[in-house]
Amino acid sequence: MEQARNYVCTECASAVPSGHKFCGACGAAVPPEAQTLETRFFGALQMPGKARLIVVRGDEAMGEGLSYLLQATEHVAGREADQIPFPSDNWLNPRHANFLYRGDKLVVRDEGSLNGVYIRIRGTSPIQIGDHFMCGQQLFRVDATPKDTSGPEADQTHFYSSPRRPSAFRVTQVLEGGMDGMVCCAREQSVEIGREDCDMNFPDDVYMSPRHARVEMSGESLELVDENSQNGTYVRIRGERELGHGDYVFLGRNLLRVEVTA
Amino acid sequence: MIVCSRCGKENQDHYKFCLGCGAELPRQSSKPEPFSASTPSAETPSPGRTTNAPPARVGRAEALASAPRLDVDLAPVQPARSEPVEVADALPPELAPLGDATSPCPHCGADVPENFRFCHVCGYDLHAAASGGAPAAALADAPAERVSAPAVAEAPEQPAVRARLVLIQPDGSEGEAFPLSAGRTLIGRSTGGLFANDAYLSPEHAEFRFESDQLVVKDMESLNGVYIRIEPEVPIELFDGSIFRVGQEILRFEAPLAPEPAADGTQYMGSPHYGYLGRIALLTGRDTTGNCFPVPPQGIHLGRERGDVVFPEDGYVSGLHCRVHSEVGHVFLTDIGSSNGTFVRVSNESYVPRGTFVLMGQQLFRSEY
Repeated sequence: MEQARNYVCTECASAVPSGHKFCGACGAAVPPEAQTLETRFFGALQMPGKARLIVVRGDEAMGEGLSYLLQATEHVAGREADQIPFPSDNWLNPRHANFLYRGDKLVVRDEGSLNGVYIRIRGTSPIQIGDHFMCGQQLFRVDATPKDTSGPEADQTHFYSSPRRPSAFRVTQVLEGGMDGMVCCAREQSVEIGREDCDMNFPDDVYMSPRHARVEMSGESLELVDENSQNGTYVRIRGERELGHGDYVFLGRNLLRVEVTA
Repeated sequence: MIVCSRCGKENQDHYKFCLGCGAELPRQSSKPEPFSASTPSAETPSPGRTTNAPPARVGRAEALASAPRLDVDLAPVQPARSEPVEVADALPPELAPLGDATSPCPHCGADVPENFRFCHVCGYDLHAAASGGAPAAALADAPAERVSAPAVAEAPEQPAVRARLVLIQPDGSEGEAFPLSAGRTLIGRSTGGLFANDAYLSPEHAEFRFESDQLVVKDMESLNGVYIRIEPEVPIELFDGSIFRVGQEILRFEAPLAPEPAADGTQYMGSPHYGYLGRIALLTGRDTTGNCFPVPPQGIHLGRERGDVVFPEDGYVSGLHCRVHSEVGHVFLTDIGSSNGTFVRVSNESYVPRGTFVLMGQQLFRSEY
């Protein structure tokens, strides 16, 4: 005993192969869904090329675990945005970032926000003087070494300065409210950041790995290196950036994970 | 909490002087206090307020007077600017009991314990009024500051050389002494002698003079400034821009300076702000700083090996050197027994108490007068 392998005509019980509109034996019409073997998606989430944002760490009012399906062409996120609202996060501009499709690619664009859009780096990322980045709960800025202002006076009085070492660049911690906090000048070519035993240590930051990340001079250019930290290292984007499956984006206090169906 | 009757500032219960204005605070008679603590400062007004003192100088004078005593077991720290006259066989303050019996002060009417020589409210000299009515113990324990008042009269009669700056050589021994006259003495690279070859001295660096019996130094807008060693365990208030020196390191305290928030209500994001009091910046040039450290509300310790901020390569910094801390909303610097001392840069002018170490250019001096 075995199952019939084709659509069976409801009038005469003859087998009808797919693609036929009428039964070859009795001429009865075949229902449309039986004519083709098109497979449908269970849900819109499976639609190819469409992305979804999942709130991994989020706005108190909106909660975590929320997800946003990006079905339109543009999706604005912000404190007063309609599509992706985070109403209680005052680190976000009313209109902060835009998730939009360019062809079949998803990109995120900073809408001129005060605090910017941060994306998790994978391994090593180039970084420039003036760029911001995040590790754990800490925000940093990479600064240039200022010009030496310790030369002698016109009257030949020498300036007494603290002992100085040559330094390629420095990393400045930026505090909530915009004030600069800790500053660490690079010794040799790098500044390492972590909970303990690094150049900049944040023993109270439970989201930071013991050795989290480092900024280093590689030849003539600077690199930001994530040292396999648990929660990642995020760099502020300039303008817009393409997103792929598994990317993480920080908007203010909200961490979003990007899921894109292939 | 003690509310200052002069300026209205709230002070912690163990404070003897107001942090706001330096005035003597009334004792809370519920617990015994050392008798000497009731020195009425109203009788000896702080010179810092009677002259046009620069802020930091007032701060220093106040800090000297209002030093919060954190360790009550310590011998009382004398205000360094008034050299106390020896008081023979002074009864330890804790042995001077706070009697229950009181008598009204003839001046203000306050109830004053019988063994007080001075009214704790108005500072009236009860001993002078009662002419010998006070117990002998209280007499012997008369506050040093009061007794030192006639020191002006006892000072030598206008000698040509009234003080000396004794050079401390790199090995710690004493070298040449530079005389200071009773008038004004200018010191700098252009004044020659001891100072001619010090490239870190400005041509006209500092001026010394006497104000009654106190030596005063004025920074003549020199490039590198004049530094005065602070006494161990005596907190000195720090203001925005206060500069101090630890070992070879020049440090500046910077009060918090946050940008204006954006017009649309967006706040600047950043690392958690644990109520930092400001930060300590290493000065590396006229306009440049190196490493900086925010100062959390619980304060920070600085040292060569121990503390929150360490200087492992500066052999002139002690293992644990000084701390920056906060008391009732003000920020203080306290040397915690360092070998080479903590020096505070003079803002315009400062008193130079006897025996104080003064740092100018590359050289260290001890004041002697």
